Amino acid sequence: MEAPPCRQLGELQPEQERSSSPVVGLSLCDSAPLLWRIQDLKAVRSSGLVGALLGALPRTPRQNIRLGRPLLLLPEEERLLRERHSAAALPARNQDAVGTELQQRYEEEEQRSYEEQSILALEDRRSALLRAMTSSSGSESGVGSDEALQGRLLALGQSFTFPRSALAVQLSTARAGLSHCQEARAFLQVDWPIREQDSPRREARYQVFRDLRGRGFFLTSAGKFGGDFLVYPGDPLRFHAHFIAVCLTLDESICMLDVLCVARLGSNVKKTVLLCSPAPDGPVHYTSLQWSGMV
Amino acid sequence: MADQNKTESANNFYNEILSPCELFAARSRSHKLPARGQKDFYPDDSEEQRQRLQQSLDEHWRLISEERVERLGNLVKGVWIPSDRIVELQSPAGKFWQTMGFSAEGKQYLLPEEALYLMECGNLLVSHQDLPLSIQDGYEMFLSADAVSLQQYQVFGHLKRLGYVVHRFDPSSEPSSYARQLNLPPSRERGGRQLKRKRSPSPTPTCSKGESPAEKMEEDDKLPESHLPTSAEPAEPQSCSSGSAGEAGARTWWMTDVPDRQADKRPSPGSPSARSRWNFSAIPFPDLGSTGRPRTVAPPDPSLLPGGVTVGVCDVASWMQKVNLREVRMSGKEEERERRGRRRDVNKDREVQRCRNWAEYHELLARRQAAREGRPAHLWSGEVTPLHDPTQPISTAELLEKISVITSTNLLEGASRLKGSEEWRICFNVYQPDSVADFKKSNPGKPYTRMCVCSFDGPVPDLRAIKQLAFQSGDVLVVFAVVDHGDISFYTFKDFQLPRDVFP
Repeated sequence: MEAPPCRQLGELQPEQERSSSPVVGLSLCDSAPLLWRIQDLKAVRSSGLVGALLGALPRTPRQNIRLGRPLLLLPEEERLLRERHSAAALPARNQDAVGTELQQRYEEEEQRSYEEQSILALEDRRSALLRAMTSSSGSESGVGSDEALQGRLLALGQSFTFPRSALAVQLSTARAGLSHCQEARAFLQVDWPIREQDSPRREARYQVFRDLRGRGFFLTSAGKFGGDFLVYPGDPLRFHAHFIAVCLTLDESICMLDVLCVARLGSNVKKTVLLCSPAPDGPVHYTSLQWSGMV
Repeated sequence: MADQNKTESANNFYNEILSPCELFAARSRSHKLPARGQKDFYPDDSEEQRQRLQQSLDEHWRLISEERVERLGNLVKGVWIPSDRIVELQSPAGKFWQTMGFSAEGKQYLLPEEALYLMECGNLLVSHQDLPLSIQDGYEMFLSADAVSLQQYQVFGHLKRLGYVVHRFDPSSEPSSYARQLNLPPSRERGGRQLKRKRSPSPTPTCSKGESPAEKMEEDDKLPESHLPTSAEPAEPQSCSSGSAGEAGARTWWMTDVPDRQADKRPSPGSPSARSRWNFSAIPFPDLGSTGRPRTVAPPDPSLLPGGVTVGVCDVASWMQKVNLREVRMSGKEEERERRGRRRDVNKDREVQRCRNWAEYHELLARRQAAREGRPAHLWSGEVTPLHDPTQPISTAELLEKISVITSTNLLEGASRLKGSEEWRICFNVYQPDSVADFKKSNPGKPYTRMCVCSFDGPVPDLRAIKQLAFQSGDVLVVFAVVDHGDISFYTFKDFQLPRDVFP
């Protein structure tokens, strides 16, 4: 919206700003902005954006308590990154561009990995044998057992085969490819897919998000709490949320029952409800709701 | 500065690809989740707190950055077929085959959501153009708005990780509303049980048990004659109604006519089937209490009897001994009451004699009636009359029914007439985790719930959508999985009947 896609790269932002915050690479999946690479996830977190993890955790995939990559960004987070010019949409995988060269390279890599892993496995076995022999031979006489050990080790070296099925392979999380270098990203950030952000409600949400983030709060979505955002005083890993932010435009009227509903819900989960309304070209107005405690 | 960035990014270029050494070391990796400590309430800028945060973050990144490493022998291999949007397996399937996948033409296939879930679990390696796909490739290639959306996959993965068996919902496998009206046995799902039921010896009407209120209602409305043994019917209802006819015939002497019995249950005077085939005024019934006291009863007209039955002259002498034949003797008081109760001769009434025509007589009757019962006549003269005539006896429940202007309805009422919408559709059949052990893909049985996927950004389903989905799902509960970015909440709309206390 602010930056027409045809603008020159150099005009977009001062040089030093770009180098201070690395450009984050976003991939679109079913039009949702997802982050895949760990450095991108770290960069986003260090700028105070939390997002939501969607995938199964590699270590223990069959549980929902802790999830893993990819990280889904809120529309507000995505827009904030875009306004700071610190994110770029990475191109989708080019499905037909895979040449035989790449396939060959992959096979070579796997073969190399197999050879290295078989050496490692042999080493592993040898040291285990050594450990077993030395600990058991401690009671026996030294010279004869040393010969026996050498013989055993030799036999192991000849007979050992590392089965192909035991080869450890990686199921990559992120796609490896050319689109990850800094220059390519700087170039790509110009080409931002146009996504509708036009409703007044969305605009209000974004203004509130930007303002609260600017004050150092961490925000996550709060659908389960009947609001727009959960507001944390610090990183959600270490702190509980204090507020439930409900975003309203300034001229929007709200029914008394709805006010009671969110206030009641907020007090039940020990959080304060904030009614947040951005004034046009001005500050955001915050109103907190609390039970007075009077009977 | 820029140069430094360049080298750094070059180093990072493949930094998420593990070296053979790292791969080998990853085999003895822990599978435990680190426990999360108590959270703090407020940041106080203390060094201690900062350290704890750093510790948590380090642990977080360690966990998140971990790559999947599996032994090649433990991986099932598959190939992505973009044209059909499915994954074809190239090595024998694992344990997951019991609940996932399908075979066609001797090959084993996985649906994209199943394949992606198994990739995430580290069980499956999918290749495309001879190169293995990353999880990211899987997300971007398998998921799309017109097939399986990201939100649908989020719900699918969430339920799968909890152990549920999740299958795509296929509307065509559900019995159509027409089949439900006829109470046809479902062709595929309950086939096995149907056979068992046929073999069971008791002719008890099992068909009404499985009926939902909607089906019953539909039958009442549209198919009043479906229970008549004379009309051609599908197998099940026939067996139950003929069973009841047999029962009736065995138990009573005169009432061999089932239609009468059915007509009692559903009083619909308009329909011709409710009326009897026999003219009872023309059939002489034996009068055993008459003074003549015949010793025998003549046989009934053969046309009234079912074929093949002959009934001779019946000797009733033994019955007569069991009947109380004493004459009724009334006391004087009783006789007086009897006499007063009898109608007086209206023609002797003066007021009646004053009437010149029928209209005047009717008016007089109405006036007398009103006066006797205290019913204010003016309330009944206009076009709008009270809901109930107080002179008519009625039970409390019936009266409540009569005066309730807004009647309650149930969720399925009229739902069969609603057209399916594009916006709302059921996505998944969900089966409980404890059913996994003896789960059969060919005969999965009745699902535990059906899942509809929506988002907090979208609208709340309206009554029309809820009715339509509930009808489509039959007697299985429809649950709405509402996706809010990473969070998924489950909601359901249940039919509720207000309790009503009636004191007679």
